[in-house]
Amino acid sequence: MIEYKGLDGITDKDFDPYFGIAKLDEQLKGIPSKKVVLISASPSVGNEVFGYQIIHKNITSGVKVLVFLNRTSPQSYLTEMKEYDFPANENLFIIDAYSGITGIKSDETDHIRVIGNPYDKEEVRTKVLKELGNGYGLLVIDSFSLLADFFDFSFATSFMNDIKKEVVSKDSAAVLLFTDWGYEKQNVDKLLSNVNSTIEVKGIEKRVIFGQYFAVLKCDWIEENPAFSSVLFKAMKPGGIKVYFPKILVTGPTDAGKSSFIHSASKNAVSVDKLGGTIALDHGTVDFQGYRADLFGTPGQERFDPLLKMLGGEAIGVFLVVDSTKPEQFPRAVEMLRKTETYGLPVVVIANKSDLDGALKKEEIREKLHLDSAIILIQTVAEDLSKVDPNEPTKLKEAGINEALSALFKQLT
Amino acid sequence: MEGIKTGFKNFDELTNGLDYRKVYALFGDKESGKEQFIYKLVQSALSAKNAIVYVLTSKSYSELITEFNSRGININPYLGADFRILDDFSRTNSPSATDNSYAKILNGPLDLTGLSVSLSSANSDFVKDAKPVINIFDNLSNLLIYNNPVTVYRFLQFVVGKAKLAGITTIFSIDVAMHPPEVIETIKNISDAVIDLKLQEGKRYFKLSGTSKEVLQFKEIE
Repeated sequence: MIEYKGLDGITDKDFDPYFGIAKLDEQLKGIPSKKVVLISASPSVGNEVFGYQIIHKNITSGVKVLVFLNRTSPQSYLTEMKEYDFPANENLFIIDAYSGITGIKSDETDHIRVIGNPYDKEEVRTKVLKELGNGYGLLVIDSFSLLADFFDFSFATSFMNDIKKEVVSKDSAAVLLFTDWGYEKQNVDKLLSNVNSTIEVKGIEKRVIFGQYFAVLKCDWIEENPAFSSVLFKAMKPGGIKVYFPKILVTGPTDAGKSSFIHSASKNAVSVDKLGGTIALDHGTVDFQGYRADLFGTPGQERFDPLLKMLGGEAIGVFLVVDSTKPEQFPRAVEMLRKTETYGLPVVVIANKSDLDGALKKEEIREKLHLDSAIILIQTVAEDLSKVDPNEPTKLKEAGINEALSALFKQLT
Repeated sequence: MEGIKTGFKNFDELTNGLDYRKVYALFGDKESGKEQFIYKLVQSALSAKNAIVYVLTSKSYSELITEFNSRGININPYLGADFRILDDFSRTNSPSATDNSYAKILNGPLDLTGLSVSLSSANSDFVKDAKPVINIFDNLSNLLIYNNPVTVYRFLQFVVGKAKLAGITTIFSIDVAMHPPEVIETIKNISDAVIDLKLQEGKRYFKLSGTSKEVLQFKEIE
């Protein structure tokens, strides 16, 4: 069994089944058996990718998953999953309640059970409940709102109760995907009162969609019941759901290694530079352990200081990069935090070039920067100085980069 | 503000074209000329620098492009840039069909969530480019056949509400003979204006209600 490792890279116990989605697994510790989770989405955002990702994480972790499908055909569903880089395997089983509606013939296989008459609510109920007796770790229903549309809320509510009883008696779990089309509140409230956890998926929109977020509205298996904040995400194709930080600032004195950090951490970084020194802006997108972040680097030279406030605006976290061999630049580093108006935001200090002659030790750097004990300092080094291309930022070793990303992302979630 | 010209001379003269931001139901029987009306409108609106999201439920996107070309409408320069197709048909026959730069392949008529998400996304892209946008549903009848009508009404209310908020014009094409009167009445209620088309003795006629310049008696369309 593969453990969900999250940002720490370790976990004190297995979660089984999982969400496979950063932040959700960290906060909810997976989906315990006997529990029913409802993922309720706004129609302009949708939740199908949550379904694909949850299914994929579990089938690749050895969990036998049953998917009830009434939204599209099994073939089309598997194509869509594959486009997100979530291919099916032998642990995925499907109940096809779609093909009978469209009149397209669908043959039963070892992995696909067909509901002959999807208009017959009792056939739907009986077939799903009977199939659950075959040792599934997780049931996913895509879509539960379509069941309520197709029949009515009275059926949806009683079917949910049946599913709940079955997953409790069979030590299974269930995830129900639900689109809230503006149904009567009392019907929705009744459904929600029957589930163990509700996750809301919504868009931030006015005339257009600016972003999308998910939030845990309820979860009855977390004893401490922390206040769950909403989490911005992006649905990447391929890649799936990534928790998203729209702006993280990378600042620090000239030649400390800001561009090197951004280019080493990102897949697609760009620099606006001249003769090697960044004169306007670095930008890169980081994809790390289910998180995605846009990094914005500032120039280090003082003549660009008037730009710093603008570049720092709306950042939610900071990497402060310093050259471990140049303590004389440390006051400038602190000044840059002030000038970008990011002092007080979650910050991780990157002590770069820590393997070079004359590099200060960690504690010396902390002392000279007057760092509070809560601020994390990570040392980074170049990969191979003999291969440095003077026209490209120097590549930094992955271990330090990952340690730094993990440290800041943990503070931001 | 000048309306969206349909490309039909007398329709545009009598009605001043279609009003921006309004929701139009385009009613007619099978041979009434709905497709011809829409195709000509697409040609006219694109040449006037509008952007169009075309929701296709009864044929594939490649068939649609062939239809445009066979009618002498060169749609190719607009594909992707100003004309995007949400193809809700292809996967029914070809489950492995995939997207390209101008056509998004949807899961089929029951997946209204998928359609709504894709529509929001395509609309957002065009609105961010400051383009006037028209959403065309060709046609609504297929969605009504496969789904509970109440489900489709909810879907329409949602997409119409969002379109109005974003300043988008919407057109639903419906084959009237396929649906009971109460369904047609409800679609009328969801719409701001109704365009009726009919074929009679070899000629096509239209009437328009619900706009500032109504045409309440059938007039030949040319």
